Amino acid sequence: MFNNMLQTKMTFNKLLIATALIGSFTSCRKHGEVSAFEEEDWYAGGSQTSYVFGAGAYGQAFSSLSASEMFIHDVGDKAFEATFVSAPAPKNSGLGPIFNNVSCVSCHIGDGRGKPPGIGEQLTSLLIRVSIDGQDIHGGPMEAPFFGGQFQQKGIFGVQSEGNVDVNYSYITEYFADGTSYELRVPTFSLSGTYTGLPAGVMISPRVAPPVFGLGLLEAISDNTLLANQDIYDADGDGISGKANYVWNIQKQKKTIGKFGWKAGAPSLIQQIAAAYNQDMGITNFLFPTESSYGQSQYDYLNDDVELSDSLLYAVTYYMQTLSVPAKRNISDPQVIEGKKLFTEANCVGCHKPSIRTGTNVAFSHVSNQLIFPFTDLLLHDMGVGLSDNRPDNMANGNEWRTPPLWGIGLTEIVNGHSNFLHDGRARTLMEAIMWHGGEAESSKQFVRNLAAGKRSSLIKYLQSL
Amino acid sequence: MKINYLLSIAIIGIALGSCKKDDTTPTEEEVSNAQITAGISLNVNYAIYSDLSLKSINLYNAVATFIASPNANGLTDCRNFWKGARAAWEQSEGFLYGPVATENIDPRIDSWPVDFNAIDALLAGSTDFTVEANIDALDDALKGFHPIEYVLWGETGNKTFSEFTAREKEYLLALANNLKNLTAQLEQQWNTTSANPYVDHFTSPGASNPYYATNKAVFEEMVNALIGICEEVAEGKIGEPFTLQDPSLEESPYSSNSIADFTNNMKSVQNVYLGKYSADGHGIEDLVRKHNLSLDNTIKTKINAAIASLGAVTDPFGTAISSQQPQVQNTIDAIEDLKNTLETDLLPFVQQHVTD
Repeated sequence: MFNNMLQTKMTFNKLLIATALIGSFTSCRKHGEVSAFEEEDWYAGGSQTSYVFGAGAYGQAFSSLSASEMFIHDVGDKAFEATFVSAPAPKNSGLGPIFNNVSCVSCHIGDGRGKPPGIGEQLTSLLIRVSIDGQDIHGGPMEAPFFGGQFQQKGIFGVQSEGNVDVNYSYITEYFADGTSYELRVPTFSLSGTYTGLPAGVMISPRVAPPVFGLGLLEAISDNTLLANQDIYDADGDGISGKANYVWNIQKQKKTIGKFGWKAGAPSLIQQIAAAYNQDMGITNFLFPTESSYGQSQYDYLNDDVELSDSLLYAVTYYMQTLSVPAKRNISDPQVIEGKKLFTEANCVGCHKPSIRTGTNVAFSHVSNQLIFPFTDLLLHDMGVGLSDNRPDNMANGNEWRTPPLWGIGLTEIVNGHSNFLHDGRARTLMEAIMWHGGEAESSKQFVRNLAAGKRSSLIKYLQSL
Repeated sequence: MKINYLLSIAIIGIALGSCKKDDTTPTEEEVSNAQITAGISLNVNYAIYSDLSLKSINLYNAVATFIASPNANGLTDCRNFWKGARAAWEQSEGFLYGPVATENIDPRIDSWPVDFNAIDALLAGSTDFTVEANIDALDDALKGFHPIEYVLWGETGNKTFSEFTAREKEYLLALANNLKNLTAQLEQQWNTTSANPYVDHFTSPGASNPYYATNKAVFEEMVNALIGICEEVAEGKIGEPFTLQDPSLEESPYSSNSIADFTNNMKSVQNVYLGKYSADGHGIEDLVRKHNLSLDNTIKTKINAAIASLGAVTDPFGTAISSQQPQVQNTIDAIEDLKNTLETDLLPFVQQHVTD
């Protein structure tokens, strides 16, 4: 009862703040004056747009949640932060025996983006997927014998981890058309000190933790809407194909469109999260009830599975489904306005589709029928050999990656204290990330390469406004 | 009724706030927003991290003395210095932005719960605690305040000095050393004389600042952090064990220090608002008092009420959730009340009045 009153008030207050902000932006315009701004500029996440732009920018709940929904969101929030410890323990039991990290938030700091380690540093928010040649019975990557589909570089005390992950960086210098140089950082990841021999031909794919806000809205995009952008054989001849990944959906017991993960390897948020609990932390759950170490010497033989209650898994899923999207900033800055034009002219929008409408969903009205601005088509694109991990993942080959959303990207620095981008965090700035593009994005990259310095800086300003 | 009331305030707020010049243009002697952020960063954020670093050094020294010749007084010293460092840390939780978050320092010094099994195994094993890299490599739940607390007090809170094993002593010293090093990093990041410290971003917003474009953004950051800690204390630290009537959810159970923790969290809000820790400088109050004395009074009253409500809980928190339920409920109410004022009044206020 008490809680209910509070939550209603809080939710309502957020609306008020939004109202007040919008009020102050618009109230001075003369009648009949045409706004230079579009919906994109106001409502990045449709009606689920938030106006907190500091360290907490990625962690704002939907403003439309009812008191009881807010309660579930908060339960999920706490579970997202919960540190797991080794079994048996009274609280948060079941870490490992082998794992990558101890809680969700320790990789997704501030609900945000991870980064790769420096040379000689331990991994903090990046993990390594492993597989060998071939496909499993559902067309997914073939697990590496005695290592599974993911490399766990940590073990609980007294348990040997699967080994160490080492990184080395080399650097290449390239030039913009005006002669200005820029440097790209090329990471090389390798596995060493493994507890048993690595299988021949093992393939590895480093992945940083992606931000976790706005995912409920992305999940709400209907298959038909996604497939409308698909152009597998580039029938329109624009050099951009776009292909949906189809992956095994455990709950539906069939293949459905992959929407989450760097290669769109997860069909639903709950499956993505459940897999992360299992693989990243060694926490078994109803979707993945078997320890990641099963069949390996690290297996604990404890009869304590599943380690995460069904309701907590649902609550964490709900938490991520109901994180809103920060609004754009500095929309009237002339450089931002110019950058926006350049973003279109360079045809970045070919894959980073500015807007998309979510499907109608009567059962979950908070995300239903919203015009949102995620800057992604959620489809796979060939990004060239420079970015390839040379490892297939369902229907994605090594060169193919899912277009990542760009919304909120300009707040990475304040939330996460770095500006490392791309699947393995190799780009140290937004411009480096652009210049790593190849394959279907080659002509867009060349467009940027030929821009004058002022325009390049406008383009970056625009990205920083997202 | 409540909603209508709030709505009308909002409408009035919009009407007053837009399309008219600020009727109280600051005169020269008035405090600027930059002076306020500089004051808070120096007299609160930096001062507290500096104190935390100092008190962590004290703790380390006390532990070194204790393990050299264990006795009851030495153990009491260690516990008191732990509480001292803990007080400074809890007073820093009203500003959990910047390096403490982005450099991943918070989880390394304040993770919970303690991993008993791993600590027991670690103590039974042969890890060389004198090698700092071995401590760095430990998981978050095996280092920081709570494992130190666990070793100092024991699971039931009444450990005696003669019960410490040789391995425990080595572990304790290594953990105190690790805490000392991590808190020194925080101090450095808020120290204006360091090379490229975070504090420079905080106090010099601008177009080329990757963190804060405007003073308004800095003020929003500060106020949102205050809202955040009130929410965390009322709904998490107090609310969760209380609602579930589960004392095992208490965060500092071995030392029975939780009420002090919560009180220091509320003092953290007070410090930022007043711009005061050991020295008193410019704080958010300077901005509020310029335009709205009534709001200033309300905020101060509610901060005091929150602190006072915690003072009324006289049993250790783990017991109080069942023995002093009205008092514990009062703390939740008072802190939520403060949070609501910060969220519905102070946040829009700074958004309206901080225009640079």
